[in-house]
Amino acid sequence: MRSVWAVASNTIKQALRMKIAVVFIVLLLVILPVMAFSASGDGTIKGRLQTFVSYGVSLTSFLLSLLTIFAAIHTVTGDITQRQVYTVLTKPIRRYEYLAGKCLGILVLDLALLVAFSAGIYAVAVYGPDMMGADQATRQELSDQFYTARASLFPKTLDVTPEEVEAEYQKLKNNQTMDQYFAEGTSVLRVKDWIYKRMRLEKNAVAAGSQKVWEFKNVKVADPNGMLFVRFKFEVATTPEDEQIISQWAVGDIRPLRQGKQPNTRIYEVQRKDPVRMFREFVIPADAIAADGYVAIAFMNPPINQTVVMFMEQGNNQNLESQSLAILFKAGTFQENFIRGVCVVFFRLVFLAALACLASTFLSFPVAVLMSLVVFFTVSISGFVLEAFTFMDAAVGKIYNNTLALLIKGLPQFDKYNPAAYLVDGRLIDAEMFNWASWTIVWAAVLMGVGLLIFSGKELARDTS
Amino acid sequence: MDYAIETIALTKTFADWWGRRKVYAVNDLTLQVNTNEVFGLLGPNGSGKTTTIKMLLGLLHPTRGHAFLLGGQGDDPKINARVGFLPEESYLYKYLTPRETLDFYGRLFGLPRAVRKDRIETLLDMVGLKAVANRQVGSFSKGMARRIGLAQALINDPDLLILDEPTTGLDPIGTRQIKDLIINLAKRGKTILLCSHLLADVEDVCDRIAIMYGGKVQAQGHVNELLEQADKRQITTGQISDQAMGQIRDILEREHAEFDLSSPMEKLETYFVRTVAEAQQQAQPTSGAESTTRMAGFLAGEEDAQKQVLSSLVQGQTKSEPKPSQAGTRTAKSAQSTEVEPKSAVLDSLIKKAPDQVTLETPKKSEDTAAPIQTKTQVNRGILDQLVDPGQQGDATTEKPRKGDSDHA
Repeated sequence: MRSVWAVASNTIKQALRMKIAVVFIVLLLVILPVMAFSASGDGTIKGRLQTFVSYGVSLTSFLLSLLTIFAAIHTVTGDITQRQVYTVLTKPIRRYEYLAGKCLGILVLDLALLVAFSAGIYAVAVYGPDMMGADQATRQELSDQFYTARASLFPKTLDVTPEEVEAEYQKLKNNQTMDQYFAEGTSVLRVKDWIYKRMRLEKNAVAAGSQKVWEFKNVKVADPNGMLFVRFKFEVATTPEDEQIISQWAVGDIRPLRQGKQPNTRIYEVQRKDPVRMFREFVIPADAIAADGYVAIAFMNPPINQTVVMFMEQGNNQNLESQSLAILFKAGTFQENFIRGVCVVFFRLVFLAALACLASTFLSFPVAVLMSLVVFFTVSISGFVLEAFTFMDAAVGKIYNNTLALLIKGLPQFDKYNPAAYLVDGRLIDAEMFNWASWTIVWAAVLMGVGLLIFSGKELARDTS
Repeated sequence: MDYAIETIALTKTFADWWGRRKVYAVNDLTLQVNTNEVFGLLGPNGSGKTTTIKMLLGLLHPTRGHAFLLGGQGDDPKINARVGFLPEESYLYKYLTPRETLDFYGRLFGLPRAVRKDRIETLLDMVGLKAVANRQVGSFSKGMARRIGLAQALINDPDLLILDEPTTGLDPIGTRQIKDLIINLAKRGKTILLCSHLLADVEDVCDRIAIMYGGKVQAQGHVNELLEQADKRQITTGQISDQAMGQIRDILEREHAEFDLSSPMEKLETYFVRTVAEAQQQAQPTSGAESTTRMAGFLAGEEDAQKQVLSSLVQGQTKSEPKPSQAGTRTAKSAQSTEVEPKSAVLDSLIKKAPDQVTLETPKKSEDTAAPIQTKTQVNRGILDQLVDPGQQGDATTEKPRKGDSDHA
């Protein structure tokens, strides 16, 4: 262990003195303060703080990810090409200890920088309202929606099955109405894609003058006297002139009403006017939730809106950002949540360090960096990559689904659980996220294991890369 | 018998891109290096010396055959703990200072902090880099880097020292120092494998040598045996009268022997070392070769430092006393470097005003018979004597035994 630490501390010195880490540190030192002053968001104090935390955490995570990749690969491949391994690995140190030491050194550096910069971001987030002279109402809003850790639930978007698409396609074909929509020679796949999207919209749309009810079960609020938040975003078919939608909401246990009985709990009614395509929230007391954890939310689209309002998930990601309707309730503190978020970022760095160490055991510096960056960007935009190939030609799609898609789904998907997005919404980084995080560590262990295997059998004096 | 180094039919081939074997770097090499022996591995560039060392240390895998270090494998940490290795170039971390470099390697050996600190200071002193111990190695000259390289190879007080071209890039004084160090480490029971194509280096310090070419050993044996010209005789005297010379000439003519009488030439290395040492004593300023000056100063008389290094290196070592037979060989080796050859006799006696000496010995085949290796009694005696612990070796300033007394008696 002593020699592992000797290698680790040497690696830290290298990253600092060879200026690799310094570049990233300077970048963060310059950009973060600029961001703290320039972040505006939607102009409100809450918006400014949300923007700063979101970009601050994302930027720190991104730059430290790049630092991890570059520094880890530089230190290992450098030792091989400049042959320091000749003197180091002929000392009483096992090769796995050496590689573990390199990885440990990078991670200790990462951890120190992550803690330092996160502390800065946290300080700005917490003392921001004082510095900007926030009033009492703003402070209350921040306390409810930002300095908190709320669990969230959202309804499943109703999807369309391939059979339904096929049936609709045949109908269109038989009615010979295809010409109305498509030019001659349009591919079947494209027509079906259009049908799918249209049907999906239909299923999740609320026409003017009609209503929709979502039911949630197992809503477990930490504090029954606390608050329940309904978060929504209006997607509209045609944008109203003033870009505002008037809405009527009812929240509570509606089951007795259906049987023609008096409700057991209070049912809260809310009327609002909100801009389209923007996330908005309203608050009601948590006693709207029934004792068994049931709560229903009814939405009424008044005829005056003269447009269809749609509630559906964007993209394939099961996160709050892509949901146009969700309920949130307090389940922890901002501080704990922030620490959890930082931990998740660190887990990513562990994965990247292991990936970089693996790549440097058999590739030269530029190739190893390239490979690591490709993997890093792929896991960072995994949702987009997966979606991009959804409507592929059947044969190619089959091959893709059984190979690359499986691999991408198996890899840690950085974009699917982005701690910055969680913190911005005051959303609880929950057990699910931590399960994912431990999955990242498992991946890191596997990558490191493969790296050690390759490195142990490598003829170090033969490397010509 | 346990060998310090043993290879059995060791073979290394390098394949081309298609996996076809193209080059035999080392071919069926069987070699044994005894414990407490200075063994020289010679050969021109590309003869397989370095490849052999890399296989010994586990940096390359043999295609066939086996290589053993101290009875074990070269990649076993237990074996590594007893080995010191200086590669053909120093390969140091440029961003570390000499002190940090030695500390890093010391930590790899698991040496406690106090021991590390002690050894680092004495080693820095020994290699003459104490004054620049806090400067990053990246700014060092090749020779300075070489000195750090040597120091890192010694930090663990190794039983076996593998030196690949140790004198590359070193000035003559540094070269001389390394050779003296090798001799003295061997006296303390260490085994040294010296790999070089600089024949003078090897000749001065090695007990046995092997000459490699094309990955194979072409010749091996004791240096003295290989170089001895049994059909010739050499007489070395101090200054004698013309009358005595005439008598000797008469005797030789009566023997019908072919002979050549002249004053011996001093070796350039010896002359160089002495000149720099003298300049150093007169405290003449130098700008460029600062390290050289410092080294000369160190060689000229910073006695304590050197004693300290060696005693720290042998501390706690049970076999630090040389074995009697090997000690004999070693002493003879030292004597070889102190002897005065015919042509240097006049100059020599003028300088040191020593009593006339006569040495009768068999000359070597070496081309530079006329250029004796060393007149250490004047210039370098100080260095060697400082390296030799007076407690063990007797009075360091007394005359060393003659080669003829031990080897060829």
